[in-house]
Amino acid sequence: MSDLFFLPDWPPDLGALPWYALLLLAAAIAGEVLARWLRLPRLFGWIAAGIVLGPQISGLIDAKTLAGMRGVLDVALGVVLFQLGQRVDLGWLRRNPWLLATSIAEAALAFVAMFIVLLAIEMKPLLAALAAAIGIATGPAVALSLTRELRAQGQVTERMLLLTSLNCVYAFLAVNILLAWLHQEYSEHVLSMVAHPLYLIFGSLALAFVLTAATLALLALLGRRPEAQFIAVLALVVTAVYVATALKLSLVLVMLGFGVMARALDTRRRFAAYGFGRFGQILLILLFAITAATLDLDLLPSGALAGATLLAARYVGKATGVLALAPASGLSMRKASLLALTLMPMSGVALILVHDTTALFPGLGATLATIVVSAIVMLEVLGSAATYFALVQAGEAEEARKR
Amino acid sequence: MATPPLEFRQSAPLTLGVELELQLVNTRDCDLTRAASDLLALTEKKPHAGEIKPEITESMIEVSTGIHHRHADLLAELQQIRATLVAAADRLNVRVAGGGAHPFQHWSDRRIFDRPRFQHVSQIYGYLAKQFTVFGQHIHVGCADGDDALYLLHAMSRYLPHLIALSASSPYYQGVDTAFDSSRLNAVFAFPLAGRAPFALRWSEFNAYFERMSASGIVESMKDFYWDVRPKPEFGTIEVRVCDTPLTVERAAALAAYVQVLCRWLLVERPDRVCEENYLAYTYNRFQACRFGLEGEIVDPLTASRASIAEDLAATLQAVAVHARELGCEAPLSEIGRIAREGNDARWMREAFADGGSLADLVWQQSERFRTAG
Repeated sequence: MSDLFFLPDWPPDLGALPWYALLLLAAAIAGEVLARWLRLPRLFGWIAAGIVLGPQISGLIDAKTLAGMRGVLDVALGVVLFQLGQRVDLGWLRRNPWLLATSIAEAALAFVAMFIVLLAIEMKPLLAALAAAIGIATGPAVALSLTRELRAQGQVTERMLLLTSLNCVYAFLAVNILLAWLHQEYSEHVLSMVAHPLYLIFGSLALAFVLTAATLALLALLGRRPEAQFIAVLALVVTAVYVATALKLSLVLVMLGFGVMARALDTRRRFAAYGFGRFGQILLILLFAITAATLDLDLLPSGALAGATLLAARYVGKATGVLALAPASGLSMRKASLLALTLMPMSGVALILVHDTTALFPGLGATLATIVVSAIVMLEVLGSAATYFALVQAGEAEEARKR
Repeated sequence: MATPPLEFRQSAPLTLGVELELQLVNTRDCDLTRAASDLLALTEKKPHAGEIKPEITESMIEVSTGIHHRHADLLAELQQIRATLVAAADRLNVRVAGGGAHPFQHWSDRRIFDRPRFQHVSQIYGYLAKQFTVFGQHIHVGCADGDDALYLLHAMSRYLPHLIALSASSPYYQGVDTAFDSSRLNAVFAFPLAGRAPFALRWSEFNAYFERMSASGIVESMKDFYWDVRPKPEFGTIEVRVCDTPLTVERAAALAAYVQVLCRWLLVERPDRVCEENYLAYTYNRFQACRFGLEGEIVDPLTASRASIAEDLAATLQAVAVHARELGCEAPLSEIGRIAREGNDARWMREAFADGGSLADLVWQQSERFRTAG
């Protein structure tokens, strides 16, 4: 034994913990700087910190460490999707069916527009369809984070949250239908073609239902003390993320479904606390920073054109759908155009869908990633800025933001 | 700059008009939400009964009826307004609720509606303006002339505790049970020009008072007075402002009918001596009504008699019965009698809270009651 055994090893081996601390600290400081001096939403700071610390710029946090953060990233995204699901009121779609029509129209038009332009730049149909399907998804983390930070309330905010959750579901379904078709092309197993999507959909919904029943039973037991509820719900949400991963179910569908059911079946309104408070904030910071660090900027040169084309078509499709049905759904054209802007962001869910596709079809995944990730990189700041602009212009942000 | 004297516009005696301030809450946790401008944008598109207007914050809306001679017509219009509101709110995923105050909103979360007058009030009164996120029912009664209006205003003061206790629907405020049946009026009393009108029975005297107040720069218009009852010369009415917004429009119409009957009785029979001395017990009685509701005590300073508000109300209902018949108000007045016996909205709210267990659930039940009550 060395005489200096009491001194720590160098470099110290502490696992990933210090990296989380570093990422959190840098992101939180960057966020505060932006919020205080530039009066911009904190999430821009979180994204910047992630990019700077990540392997692309400084390399302080390398790819291996980032890969190790995948579990936390899933929990963070899971919590976001759960909260988003809780904000969705299925009854609203019944009371205002034009909203459902709006959502189907904007998703379908965006898909068609993206598919056509990607074909036009001579992409393979299958690839174009997959990219277009992923492009249906809009960014739940940006929507939730900005709603929280701006304390936004109103029709643009509510509809953004509703359409965003529906878009995540549509994207998931579209991608899986396409994948089922791919199974048929690439493999002999007819069974897997049908069984896999069915397993994903019904398995995920069943898990969401079981979790909801467990949550509501637990809340009935705990009563309305917000602190106790918070811990119980958080534990169940984390469990949900791990069970969904272990059973190879869809994280997106499980967590959204869990949130939606937890609200719809809570007829006695037992949920006392909806937000995840400071802890939710920490998860959001990590989600933005880790996602930003993961983004592969090297793909940009080869994917920029296709990515930009995809984004333009996506925006046109979504805006057309939202604007066309605005009067019928009871929204002014001005607010509808702002709502269309809030549907720009695309990030975590799209990345998961790329990831899932790559896991099944590695060859296809690489090309797909080039386009979609390029689009996401371009949107990372632009999309959040569009949403921020729209919420402030709609007059739905808190007073301090108004001039 | 000299203000021109206020001219009291003549209006048909005993006609009624009602204004209700209503709460707009979200469907998630039932907190007040920013929805007034979106809701107005929808209701303005189609012609509808009554008027729907913005109020000082984005989570409030004010509806008002036209002028009515009869309770039945007033009720019908209020029900039509409710149907319009509920249909529009459903499309926007917002709920409309009655009640004098939101049980758990935090005043710092409120946003002031973007209109010059509201922004001005907000600047002058600071947090009071936001704390003033309370919801009242205003009842206008037509008067033949200014002297009648002033007589009614002062004769009515003796009976205001009835109206406070009957309408009280703000037991919870900022997340706690205030122990008051109407906590809303406490928020109103904080304003410097709240309280009672000065004693004057001639319109010319009142005008002299108003001229001095405006010449000294204390007020600019009648709008600056937050009195419990105030004359509204441009409408030719007196405006009774002590009521909390009830949980249903049916109860709002019944309260208006009670005011109408009281006014007819006061005008025709002149049962009480109307003098400054009436006001000796005014704030005491008003406090009793706010705090204890129908179980509160009402003191008559002229006879030194005391009774519970419910008893005093029952006696008054007997005295005015003939006039209720004349005005076709027997049904609403028997409803008033039932409230006096069985309890007001504040009591219903406390029971609903005990049953549901959360204030969010209580607001949900309030909004259900608003839309479904028949």
